[in-house]
Amino acid sequence: MSRLFGMIFVLGGLVVALVGLGWAFYLLAGFLAVTFANAGLPAQYGAVIGNLLTLLLVVVMVPGSLLSVAERKWSALIQNRIGANRIRIAGSSLGGIPFLVADAVKMLTKERFQPDQATRFLFNLAPILAFAPVFALFAIVPVGPAVPLSAINGAEGALGRVAIALQVASPDAGLLYLFAIASLAVYGTSLAGWASNNKLALLGGVRAASQMISYEVSLGLALVGTMIAYRTLRLEEMVVAQGQGVLGAIPALGILLQPVGFLIFFASAFAETKRAPFDLPEGESEIVGYFLEYSGMQFGLLFLSEFVEIVILSGVIVAVFFGGWHPILFEETLRAQLSPLAFAAIGAGAFLGKMVVLMWVQMLIRWVLPRFRYDQIQKLCWKILLPAALLNIFITAAAVLVDPSLRLLAGIGLVELVAMGAITAAVSRAPKAAHGHADAHGTDHGTAHAAAGH
Amino acid sequence: MPYTVDNRPANFREQMYFPEILQGLKIAARHFFKNLFFSRDANPDFLERDRSLNWVATLQYPEERVTYPPGYRGLHRLVPREDGKPRCVACYMCATACPAQCIYIEAGEYADDPVEKYPVKFVIDEMRCIVCGFCVEACPKDAIRMDSGEHAPPSYDRAAQIWDEQRLLRGPPISYQNDPWLRRGSPSISPEKLEEMRARARPFPTVATDEASQTPGFSVRALAQEAKERGEGR
Ligand code: SF4
Ligand code: SF4
Repeated sequence: MSRLFGMIFVLGGLVVALVGLGWAFYLLAGFLAVTFANAGLPAQYGAVIGNLLTLLLVVVMVPGSLLSVAERKWSALIQNRIGANRIRIAGSSLGGIPFLVADAVKMLTKERFQPDQATRFLFNLAPILAFAPVFALFAIVPVGPAVPLSAINGAEGALGRVAIALQVASPDAGLLYLFAIASLAVYGTSLAGWASNNKLALLGGVRAASQMISYEVSLGLALVGTMIAYRTLRLEEMVVAQGQGVLGAIPALGILLQPVGFLIFFASAFAETKRAPFDLPEGESEIVGYFLEYSGMQFGLLFLSEFVEIVILSGVIVAVFFGGWHPILFEETLRAQLSPLAFAAIGAGAFLGKMVVLMWVQMLIRWVLPRFRYDQIQKLCWKILLPAALLNIFITAAAVLVDPSLRLLAGIGLVELVAMGAITAAVSRAPKAAHGHADAHGTDHGTAHAAAGH
Repeated sequence: MPYTVDNRPANFREQMYFPEILQGLKIAARHFFKNLFFSRDANPDFLERDRSLNWVATLQYPEERVTYPPGYRGLHRLVPREDGKPRCVACYMCATACPAQCIYIEAGEYADDPVEKYPVKFVIDEMRCIVCGFCVEACPKDAIRMDSGEHAPPSYDRAAQIWDEQRLLRGPPISYQNDPWLRRGSPSISPEKLEEMRARARPFPTVATDEASQTPGFSVRALAQEAKERGEGR
């Protein structure tokens, strides 16, 4: 029981910490904006630098590296194990977090081995090329709403009207920027495979390239529906649009308007992250992959880019499909009762919280689904996701054309969601009778229990 | 546990694939939350664990150990007499029976009791031992046993795996009524001690029992810990 309360306490602490983090981000951005303004530079530059530091380094890198620990611990919990816990500080394994330090020390101090005939320049460039574009993707994700500087630190006059948002850049191209940068990551993987001068690595690189290029198509098309529905490419405008009610008080969340688009995007983006069930390019244990010849921190970068991709993917999905920084619950009350800064901090906290949940879901998927076969991967992309995405675009466009207030689209989405839920909840076949042994697990995975050999 | 696979062809709903994925996620999530929110029953006897709330089956090995079942052939010991001398009479039966030839014995005589032999040296190379238990079977005096319930502790050098009579002679002492040194007395045992030993002597077992193969409460590790605390640890 003490563990139950401890965990609830930790989770509550996490929520509070996320809101506090949002608050701190605003304060830093506001402080830098004022400093820059005092130094005679545009205040926006200060905010951008603050956001670069906070969003890219804290919001992306910290969870990105923590996920390597989370992968061990969470997979352990899913598989009824305990997971890495042998590094102890004062008798406590601290949820495995010290392993992060151990990993970093290991990666950094390991020998950096290069194959004899490797193309040296490209070999060294590849991890950077794999890592940097992923990283840059987060620049357009709006973590928090725009707040006037006067509400943050009481700056006056024209300076006070400068809007500070937790978003590094908001190019007009918006989602197009996302597609453009995301497709750069394929260079890193295929170059890593090619420059290693190793046939197996090359094959891995080719697998990675073909998979990523295939899924890029459905990735792009999946978001066209949301672009049509929200009539914008910019992520922050999409987030604002998701706050408006449609169908009464239900907000026009992307998941409501575009459930099919969400599924297609999620599946394609998952394939882009090259994680199980789409981990054909690497397949560390069975089919060696494109980073076969890498060691030390270069391997670390390739490895880390996978986790960073998870973070970015969660961020983008939260912004496009789950209402971004809208807390959804009690939103009007919060907005009315709290100061703009406090509301914005809660919004940023909500965004980060949704991101954490989505990262968890991605980890969960990775430990549930086995790897696809190669033909299945291509079949899924070209025969299922792509036609579905095209169909989704036509239906969305037709619905928006008929009813520009999005009500029809939301209705269709609601029907789709309910149908999906109903089909999922329906039990298709009776579970087989228990095998006559006491089973603490309940019927539906008595088989798993038996397979575990008890 | 026989495990039958249900190989019915997938129905339409299962061919949609996606609902089944969600069902799978549901199961995984249930495992996750159960194991996250509830604490593990750390009972080393993991089949007896209460797994209603937390399903973790892990045994944290060095801290939690399963006790080996009775009859487990553990580390050897030379059974002592009540006066601390080994029961062994250096008859070489065990060394002869040993298929790995890992027992080395040098026989000697008690200076004050020329009738009785004892092992001046009794060395078992635990690294060569194949843990067959033949030595225990061969011994006519129940002087060597594998009842410690422990496997040979790992070590960094081979020398530590060579157990001599000082390390082997440990554990609870035993006396049998037909022990020759009790029947006719021995100058190497003081009269009072002899009386005590005779009083405690048991009939010699004619059938193998669990008790003979594992002495309850006896553990080489506990003895080693005691030795360490006494300051004679190696
Ligand atoms: S257990 Fe077998 S191999 Fe080991 S010492 Fe005894 S007889 Fe020899
Ligand atoms: S241990 Fe038993 S069999 Fe071996 S020498 Fe001693 S008395 Fe003989």
